[in-house]
Amino acid sequence: MELFDILTPLFFILIVVGTVIGIIFGAIPGMTATMAVAVCLPLTYSLGLENGLALLLGLYVGGISGGLVPAILINIPGTPSSLTTTFDGYPMTLRGEGENALKIGIVSSLVGGLISLAILYFFAPTLADFAIKFSYVEKFLIIFFALTVMAALSSNMLVGIFSGILGIFISLIGTYDISDGGNGEYRLLFDFMVPYLDSGFSLLPVLIGIFGLSAILIEAEHGMPAGQGLSGVKLPKGKPFKFSVFRGQSVNLCRSSLIGTFVGILPGVGGSAASILSYSQEKHFSKNPEEFGKGAPSGVIASESANNGLTGGALVPLLSLGIPGDSTTAILIGAFTLQGIQVGPLFIGNNPVTWDVIIIAMLAANIVMFLIMMFAIRHLVKVVSVPKHVLFPVILMMCVVGAYTINYGIMFDVWTLLIFGVFGYLAHKIRLEIAPFIIGFILGPSAEIYFVKSLESFGTLSIFFTKSWIAGVLWLLIIMSIAFSIALSRRNKGHGQA
Amino acid sequence: MTGFFKTLAAAASFAALVATPTLSSAQELPGNVRLVIGSTSTGGDTYQNSAIVAEALAEHLDINIKVDAVGVSEAFKALNRDSRGSTIMIFHDQSYLGHLYGVRGYDDIFETYKVGPTVAINPGNAYLVAKNGPFQSMEDIIAAASAGQRIRVAIQPGGVSEIGFSALKNAVRIAHPGAEENIVAVNTGSQADKNQVLFDGQAEVINGSVQANEQFTRLPQDDQKAMRFVWLTAAKETIAQANPEGLGDTPRDEMLAYVTPNVSVTMDGAEDFVFDKEFFFLYNKDMDPAIVEQIDTALAEIFAAGKIQETQKASFFIPDFKPSAEAATYLKAKRDDYRQIIDAISAQ
Amino acid sequence: MSFSSLLDVSIDFDTSHLVFPTLIAAVLVILLVAIAATNWRVIVSAVGATPTWPAGIDHMRFFGTLIATVIYFIAMPAVGNLYPNTGLGFYICSIVYLFGLGALYLHKRDRRHLTIVTLNALIAPSLVWFILSEIFNLSLP
Repeated sequence: MELFDILTPLFFILIVVGTVIGIIFGAIPGMTATMAVAVCLPLTYSLGLENGLALLLGLYVGGISGGLVPAILINIPGTPSSLTTTFDGYPMTLRGEGENALKIGIVSSLVGGLISLAILYFFAPTLADFAIKFSYVEKFLIIFFALTVMAALSSNMLVGIFSGILGIFISLIGTYDISDGGNGEYRLLFDFMVPYLDSGFSLLPVLIGIFGLSAILIEAEHGMPAGQGLSGVKLPKGKPFKFSVFRGQSVNLCRSSLIGTFVGILPGVGGSAASILSYSQEKHFSKNPEEFGKGAPSGVIASESANNGLTGGALVPLLSLGIPGDSTTAILIGAFTLQGIQVGPLFIGNNPVTWDVIIIAMLAANIVMFLIMMFAIRHLVKVVSVPKHVLFPVILMMCVVGAYTINYGIMFDVWTLLIFGVFGYLAHKIRLEIAPFIIGFILGPSAEIYFVKSLESFGTLSIFFTKSWIAGVLWLLIIMSIAFSIALSRRNKGHGQA
Repeated sequence: MTGFFKTLAAAASFAALVATPTLSSAQELPGNVRLVIGSTSTGGDTYQNSAIVAEALAEHLDINIKVDAVGVSEAFKALNRDSRGSTIMIFHDQSYLGHLYGVRGYDDIFETYKVGPTVAINPGNAYLVAKNGPFQSMEDIIAAASAGQRIRVAIQPGGVSEIGFSALKNAVRIAHPGAEENIVAVNTGSQADKNQVLFDGQAEVINGSVQANEQFTRLPQDDQKAMRFVWLTAAKETIAQANPEGLGDTPRDEMLAYVTPNVSVTMDGAEDFVFDKEFFFLYNKDMDPAIVEQIDTALAEIFAAGKIQETQKASFFIPDFKPSAEAATYLKAKRDDYRQIIDAISAQ
Repeated sequence: MSFSSLLDVSIDFDTSHLVFPTLIAAVLVILLVAIAATNWRVIVSAVGATPTWPAGIDHMRFFGTLIATVIYFIAMPAVGNLYPNTGLGFYICSIVYLFGLGALYLHKRDRRHLTIVTLNALIAPSLVWFILSEIFNLSLP
């Protein structure tokens, strides 16, 4: 079939429908892009390959983008990869700049999406060949690099690192999973916990418990003070959004989009690492690192351009190796197999029309995402003015729905929500640092697998230094990252005393 | 999609539902069934195959069936909790192989559950080598191992991915007792990990599948990613039932070159080892036999109609319907065969 | 002994599940000791000063939220078990839960506010249940 026969009105309507549903899924705490793609997958069977892809890619782009809305407005990351968006987006909302923060996030998402798409289109096969140079060793170093962020993100470095390591520790509870290459043995479990915790705690319930439930518990402790929205949120000041916010941010936009794309290309590193890495790089390179975490627009830009940069990146290994770059693209494989299309190293060459359709669908989905979200902002910001006795119970219910459905119906995930809601509340009391804890929890399992597998294969710690030139470059980055963190913490102490 | 019309009907009958809790008559499947699977992936073969069967079954019996990819341990737990037939399961040979290999969380399915009908085979389980590597065939590999060369095989431990490895080890033991120590497992996870260790030169042989690796075998020899099939574990009769065009650019006849008797991995010196990855139902031990009967009958009618076979073959599944009683006997025998192999290589 | 052999580690696959947890636990203990050593003054004074919890907080709303949530979580699967795989456990319990929490969080429980809470409790779960369970065929408790 010719390309222009495929690009029917239906094709574009499906992109719009997919993007809208995706944004809604992404915007509801607990619902994710992955889930949106999974629930719509059966529909695509009757749609045919091209139209099915239009719907699914719309869902993918929309779902990743929608996550910024709750992250900015109510401090709950809609998807794990918008975690770092909360760091500066929510403080902006507290200052009454929620609308601005959303617009900054949306523009950054569009830029990230388009840059990664361009990279996908022009360099996919080359990049796939580069990606396979990353063995267990290099992947561990990337994760380690992302973990060094913990130091830069904490206000008290020692406590911050402790919180991060605690996050890793808790992420290791349960089975050393066979499907990741582990030996299937339990660890860190008492016998009575086995029936519940044999698969450990799931990320999403932990995330929304710590961010969503614990925030509501803290509000409840204060007796739900009258007034609207979460405590301290100012209503929009009506300061108009200007693109001048982006002046001087082009380096940030490009770097973050590229980091996002690159992390997406590496199978098994995980989407959250993308925004964590680019956020911390922006902080390191910034002239005003102390602004970060207090509502710096460049923090939102870094985080959002990186997580949309993922979308194009994750399709690189999918379409040129047949290997998904993240959990959502893992389901996209199902869409191809349903239609009898194999994805692998020959896919692009054998299916040039489908390849063009994918690129066009992604492009259209990014543009549609931008237009719809820009239009919807005016209505979205009203969320913060909904009275608490309406908003909070609904948020709690949606957290429950998200936790229950993330693994297709497991009640323990709902209890995880409560456990980590209470944990988040207590952590707040004893001043544990939540951001490093979550980062440790997210990256812990991959850090383990890649570390242990590297040693299993090579039997010596020196392999981490000698494996390849890539390892050398990564060590350089790691050392720089640590040095920056130390310098930053010195400087902050100096400010404190002055 | 008829799903939306079903939705409307469901909404209409909602009031009635609330008024009368479904204390179902216990002789047939309830109106809303949850089909759990032993995989957490909704892009994988278990999900795909279960979705095909669930859709056919739901249509035939005019009920709702939801497929939930909850994973092995949660699926078994859900099945244990519910004897009403509201929760049923589909899984494959992993369910008893996990137990044979002593993996945590796997019980003896023949003791703990009721084994239901088999529905399909995924004939794609394969072993591959690097195209520019020293080995051309399984014969080369067995010969090299017998001659004392260490052969590293990348697998996911504890089940379907390991059974072919165990068989290879056993075949080397028979050819050259003692040399089986040269067959070493590299324990990895996903297909991406297995491919990666081959690219890195950390393994000589990897476990894979026709579906996931076929395109890699089509790459030119000088490509670092190029692979070569050396063995498909499926039975000859299984592959012979596939559509003649095969999968991708590999027609059925070419696949037949990689199965027994063209590739021989002996089980006991006389017979070749084969492994068909079969999908079958599992039920709660106390589920009403009438429901077992009902599903058997329904599936028999569905397979007699012949439409499901086309859907399965289009997705490279081989139709394989055996009613419950026959399936249980057959799978038990299959399990006992594999137990012998595993015992033989772990004896020393 | 050469430098490189100092770095040699051999990992047995059967015990490989303990390697990383042990390492992390060790780091955790070291950090804990370091925190205790550098900040012991702050910690001691903090421990001495905070036995007031849970005084000074809104008992009714804080513990009310916790207790309501626990009851909600227990009730959902129990009710859901009566109507297997229909999501009704979630639907019915959510209505009660949303109403209870909404009423708990209200400061002025007059007719107007209670009407809003009631409407919210009826509409929100209905929408969620219908869209997710019926249209998208997701499993709910």
